[in-house]
Amino acid sequence: MKDPYVPEKAAIEKIRRETVDTKTYTVRLLNERKRAEFSVEPGQFIMVSLFGIGEAPFSLSSIPNSDGAFNTTIRAVGNITSALDRFEEGAIIGVRGPYGHGWPIESARGKDVLIVAGGIGLPPLRPVVSKIAQERREYGGLEILYGARMPDQMIFPYEYEDWRKIKDARLELTVDSVPANTVWEHNVGVVTTLFNEMKTYPENSVVMTCGPEIMMRFVVRGLLAKGFAPSQIYVSLERRMKCGIAQCGHCQIGPKYVCKDGPVFKLSDIQGLPDLAL
Amino acid sequence: MTISVQEKESWKGEAVPAALLMKEDLMSWIGSLIDVYAVYGPKPKGNNFSFERIYSSEEIVLDYSTTILPLKKFLDPPSEAILGFEEGSVSRLPEGGEASKTLLFGVHPCDASSFAVLDKVFMGEYRDDRYVRRRENIVTVAIACTEPEETCFCSSMGTGPSLEQGYDVLLTDLQDRYLVESGSPEGDAIIKMIPRATAPKPTDFERKKRSTEDTLKKFKRKVVTDRLPELFRKNLDNPMWNHIRDIDLACGQCVLVCPTCYCFDIRDTSEVTSANGERVREWDCCVLLEFAEVAMGGNFRKDRGARIRQFMGHNLSYCIEQFGRFKCVGCGRCIQACPVHIDITEVASKVRGG
Repeated sequence: MKDPYVPEKAAIEKIRRETVDTKTYTVRLLNERKRAEFSVEPGQFIMVSLFGIGEAPFSLSSIPNSDGAFNTTIRAVGNITSALDRFEEGAIIGVRGPYGHGWPIESARGKDVLIVAGGIGLPPLRPVVSKIAQERREYGGLEILYGARMPDQMIFPYEYEDWRKIKDARLELTVDSVPANTVWEHNVGVVTTLFNEMKTYPENSVVMTCGPEIMMRFVVRGLLAKGFAPSQIYVSLERRMKCGIAQCGHCQIGPKYVCKDGPVFKLSDIQGLPDLAL
Repeated sequence: MTISVQEKESWKGEAVPAALLMKEDLMSWIGSLIDVYAVYGPKPKGNNFSFERIYSSEEIVLDYSTTILPLKKFLDPPSEAILGFEEGSVSRLPEGGEASKTLLFGVHPCDASSFAVLDKVFMGEYRDDRYVRRRENIVTVAIACTEPEETCFCSSMGTGPSLEQGYDVLLTDLQDRYLVESGSPEGDAIIKMIPRATAPKPTDFERKKRSTEDTLKKFKRKVVTDRLPELFRKNLDNPMWNHIRDIDLACGQCVLVCPTCYCFDIRDTSEVTSANGERVREWDCCVLLEFAEVAMGGNFRKDRGARIRQFMGHNLSYCIEQFGRFKCVGCGRCIQACPVHIDITEVASKVRGG
């Protein structure tokens, strides 16, 4: 059996700047057979390897296309992400995975889908939006509530018009604050301030949320107050990960391994666990 | 195949060879093992003991107290290269471990049981080939304990003072002789090397049973394991964690000496002048502040009490859901090592209102 720690070589085919510190990397495995085998569910993650610098986990921000290329959207905040930020198109990186459990894309069929995202929490949910757009008749209403700190921190702004054009879809944006001399025609306030106008009801719906844990804490509270049940709310968690295969121990939350049992969890499966801000 | 009870008993008797070893022949037996294996055993080190390479049978002290460091170093070394890279490509996959058989002589039942816990982690869905290679090359000659220490509680965890499984050979001290039982084909071969071996009589097995019963009476510490995992999870906010937080030094000694703590970090090392280097796996420790740190200074276990609760919870509770058995083997090393006397058996007692 193959050593699970050996990464596959992959090329960065394209880099698109999203914000001052965030870029979307289009990546493609070099090995043709591995590329054909590479199948990923929305919400799963990969370990990105920069030899000599290290490895870190990242969610995919797209479904792989017919050429096997996929996107991952990364904010430069640590050693590995800052090193990656200096990479150029054509550079070679290592990729292991995909790992973990993603969004409940199958069980959401026939239901209304509410997406609540904050900041860098939007990229793991983008494949869900694409999937619903592709198979529009399979799902009910789509409502996306997205918040960022400031207008120029919003990720994928060039796609919002397309998202709004998806049939029976609604996109609402909010920011924590607007700097002087900036035009902003949307809401100001934390993402839960969009809940007053929310169009999704608890009946026959599923919620998918990703963002800072403290944001998700308030999102969950708001949803429960509106009558949503913990069994219909899905959260994607962030924890330190070194191996991705339930061995290194870093991502444990009580008995759960975020890498193996998550990163997407049904809220009712993790309520009451220790060291969780939810 | 259906086997009647009677047939099964006799078949079992044949499949599990046992022999008696007179104590005066112990040294010569160990000597012949040294000729075949790389033998490691308990040796005095200061006022304590340590498992070290044995070159001459007299170096082994079988009547030893729990070693300060556990035996996980033989299966899970403190630091190990998992791959080498050159110019952005994987250039080397280290095999890890010694190619020849390593025999651990005189392993206490708690330590032998710790190997079964590590097996669950490293030989599960994703096999760690380096671990497996070492594991297959380890031969365990265990010895039943007769003098548990103040801090021992293996009898509570089902991991001692004797063993039902998880050994190649098991020795039981019957005063003037040892009852030597095999638990594997390798064990059968080792028993054949006993000089002047005689066949044990039913009375020898009776004496073994009595010895275990006598030893069980000597334990000072006890953990009630019934519903313990569940009770632990109901006590995540027990006031005892506040007390522990106040006294805990977060020094990490409990994790270092735990025979089943397996958490590790992975980091890259490279030569200053080139893009060549190694990816290294090394022991990490959940009670240290940095363990759960994420990007931008986030940390889900900033609180010291939460970190020691993670260590305790993993040992007494979460392990059951993760791999179906207690991680704690009751060796008591964390109790001995703790500079501020945090005691896992007290934690286990407090979660049931004790």
